[in-house]
Amino acid sequence: MTTITVMSRLGRRTYRRLVYGIVAVAVLGLFVGIALGQHLAGAVVYLLGTWIGGTITVAAPRLSDRTLQDERDYELHNHASGLALRVTMVLGLSVLPVLYVLDAGGQFEISGAVSGMVLTLSALFLLYGICYGIVK
Amino acid sequence: MQNNLSERRETEGISQGDLAEAVDVTRQTINAIERNRYDPSLELAFDLATHFDCAIEEIFDPDDGED
Repeated sequence: MTTITVMSRLGRRTYRRLVYGIVAVAVLGLFVGIALGQHLAGAVVYLLGTWIGGTITVAAPRLSDRTLQDERDYELHNHASGLALRVTMVLGLSVLPVLYVLDAGGQFEISGAVSGMVLTLSALFLLYGICYGIVK
Repeated sequence: MQNNLSERRETEGISQGDLAEAVDVTRQTINAIERNRYDPSLELAFDLATHFDCAIEEIFDPDDGED
């Protein structure tokens, strides 16, 4: 039985359990690898899991005879993405300027981790702007 | 948005899964529409109307009584 045949028979419940299960194993593998000092093995398990899970996520809805995702899933995804972005924006705009002011005043020191977070958030919003321009 | 999808489906004697398969969506989406937790796209509304051989406004009522 080929992979395509298996995917064409996937039901919605099996599809979700399969994807979530693989991603859970990948994340668990990464943490176990870190805990046991087997960083390379953990990274390999994580990469394999995310790529296999990602491939199934994209390929299965196209190959399955059944409806695995529909317009409601896309709308829920859009709402969740928009909400996550708004929450991040509100927290970022309300907290980050204060941190920089406190840093300038010497009451707080912006660590490397915080700087990394600021850069990540900035990159996220830049990516959002680019994606918005593409889909517009 | 109110709708009588549940009544129409039961009159026809089909399950949520059967209707979902007929209009190419998931059973969960049909369930959400019947419980007024999701307003379908225009395309899906047309598909449902075509399936029940009626007009969209015979299934969906935009007056939800909250205005």
